[in-house]
Amino acid sequence: MSEPSPVVLVVDDEIQIRRFLRTGFELNGFVVHEAATGAEAIRTATLRPIDVAIVDLGLPDMDGSEVVERIRSWSNVPIIVLSVRSSEAQKVQVLEAGADDYIVKPFGMAELLARVRVALRRQSRAASGEPTVVVGPLTIDLAARAVMLNGQRLTLTPKEYRLLQVLAQHAGNVVTHQHLLKEVWGSIHVHDTHYLRIFVRKLRQKIEPTPDMPRILMTELGVGYRLAQSVEADNGAAVSP
Amino acid sequence: MQKSTFLAGLRQQLPGVAYTLALVGLVTVSLYWILRVTGLTHGSALYLIPVLIAAIRWGMIPSIVAAFCGMVASAFFFFEPRYSLQIKDPHEVFNLILFTFTAVVVSQLATRLKHELEVSRQREIDLSDLYAFSRRLAAAFDVSDIHAAIEDHLAAVMQRKVILFGGQRDGARRPGAVIPAQIASVVEAVTAGSIENGGGQAVTADSGEVWLVRAVSPKNREFGVIAINLGHASADSRELLRARVDAVLADATATLERLGVARAISEARMRAQTEQLREALIGSVSHELRTPLASILGAATVLNSAPALAHENKLRALVQGVHDEAERLNGDIQNLLDASRISSDGVKPHLEWADPSDILNEALRRCQRRLTERVLALDVAQDLPMVRVDAVLVQQALVQIIDNAVKYSQSGSQITIAAEARDGALSLTVRDEGAGLTEADKTILFDRFVRGQRHAGITSGSGLGLWIASAFVTANGGKVNAVSDGPGLGTTLTIELPATQTAVPQMETDADE
Repeated sequence: MSEPSPVVLVVDDEIQIRRFLRTGFELNGFVVHEAATGAEAIRTATLRPIDVAIVDLGLPDMDGSEVVERIRSWSNVPIIVLSVRSSEAQKVQVLEAGADDYIVKPFGMAELLARVRVALRRQSRAASGEPTVVVGPLTIDLAARAVMLNGQRLTLTPKEYRLLQVLAQHAGNVVTHQHLLKEVWGSIHVHDTHYLRIFVRKLRQKIEPTPDMPRILMTELGVGYRLAQSVEADNGAAVSP
Repeated sequence: MQKSTFLAGLRQQLPGVAYTLALVGLVTVSLYWILRVTGLTHGSALYLIPVLIAAIRWGMIPSIVAAFCGMVASAFFFFEPRYSLQIKDPHEVFNLILFTFTAVVVSQLATRLKHELEVSRQREIDLSDLYAFSRRLAAAFDVSDIHAAIEDHLAAVMQRKVILFGGQRDGARRPGAVIPAQIASVVEAVTAGSIENGGGQAVTADSGEVWLVRAVSPKNREFGVIAINLGHASADSRELLRARVDAVLADATATLERLGVARAISEARMRAQTEQLREALIGSVSHELRTPLASILGAATVLNSAPALAHENKLRALVQGVHDEAERLNGDIQNLLDASRISSDGVKPHLEWADPSDILNEALRRCQRRLTERVLALDVAQDLPMVRVDAVLVQQALVQIIDNAVKYSQSGSQITIAAEARDGALSLTVRDEGAGLTEADKTILFDRFVRGQRHAGITSGSGLGLWIASAFVTANGGKVNAVSDGPGLGTTLTIELPATQTAVPQMETDADE
């Protein structure tokens, strides 16, 4: 790694969580800044250059989604939030507020690192304007509006392509139902989740080697969809350690 | 005042007297024709009929009027000389006196009978009110239930609008109980005990309605304060009503004391506090236990991949052990939290159209590690219909059921997971080759904290899993069925969800132009 070390801002009020995150990130070549409160997080994000922020939703001084919103108002830095289970509505809310992804507590370091790397890769791709997203056998050329599976060009309907395009723009990150519906069908359809279900099913028939066991277009139940960051032998990335 | 009430009483009697006179006239006409047709001479006993009817229907005064009129009519119409009040035969005079005497006695007896009938009917109504009241008290769970019961009871007994304010802090008005501001301030003062009001206090509201405000019981504050709407009553009738209220409240407080309502109220209050404490405890458990667990789990994963331990296989195995145990503990805490969520405020599903295969795949992904020592067979039908459910809840239920199948089956045995649509229902089936169920197991399978006795030694668990699964599926309008050929012959658990294929709008043309 000749590139400069990426800088991560860890925002959590629990010192033990910050401690293991610091160790885990440092072992993987990151520079770590810590913040225990929302106010401190916003201050640090303003004063120091950071490449990615990890924000816990249960902060003592302000709501996690407020921190996300405040940082997002002037910065494009990738934000990954730490949430608890049984709060899909909260996850959606914080994603709509501008977070790039979420991870459910408790989580393994490998899982978090995978999410962070996806966010960093997306950031650098956006910066360099690279037009191609590759997920296993699938290649999406955003400039040429072409989709190839194992080198074979696929024929997609305009809506199917638009759906895949929005997901590819956020490749590796979760995209909420509402966001997809708004981008593909327009704001008046943001509650018509069944549109998505039917189109995702049709799209999977075309792009997934085994449509019943999707490896490329992943479902995040109750939240949205995610284009896998890469297709390994198995989808082991999400299982820790 | 004496005179005015007497006149008022007399005015009340007027309709009864009028009906009585009509009855006497009717009897006279009938008697006249009967005597003429049959040729009989005596029939004045028939005048007892109006006396009886008047006594039973309208009371004593009309019945005496009937007796007197009957006597006069007999003398006038039927005794010689006719059409004159004079009577020739001394025997007939004696007869008439006898009739009058009988009529008066009958009217007295009938009136008393009527009175007793009314009293016993009222007693019956009071008793059934009281019975309903005590049943409501027995079913009451908290203070406001008890207060509502007292309020309804008083309203039923007094036939007036009654609003009851609970004692001390929980004098919060129930929704719908709208009272004028003046009344509210007096109620507050009485509740606080700053106004001495033994017999209650009449307050006139802006609307001109008069309200009586008083403590239900001067001795026992727990019974609260009532405000009774007396309407636009005059000063006299207000006094009468107040006397009635006193009587009813004396009765009611005696009843309340006998039923131990004061104790019930304080117990209910304590129960509410216990419930709050429990909720607070669970809330803090969720935070206080899970936060350190998140640290333990996270730290374990950092250690496990630390370069320093790369060649220390024994140490890494220990770290893995820490991780696995912490994860199991986390699952148990999650189950407790789910259970408290179900029993405290119920499950509120967020219904959305979902693809059943998404639910199945997510559940399988979560159970992946647990399933490694079982042979997994998948039997998923093509083109499953969309279901309108809370996908996350259904997936969690399925995970619980798969987890259960793993727990109660041998390593290396097969677990079959199937999904199919049949007769407008989607079924997700998990079949194992494990311990199976006895008939007794089946009846308690979905109960809380219940674990099959035969398995208590084999495997660990809180006994919450299937109860949670069942509650989550039920909240989504479905049900969980259990089938087993018997002990040792495996178990099949099925989640059935209503699937309405036609309900998904066909939007191919309009949505994908």
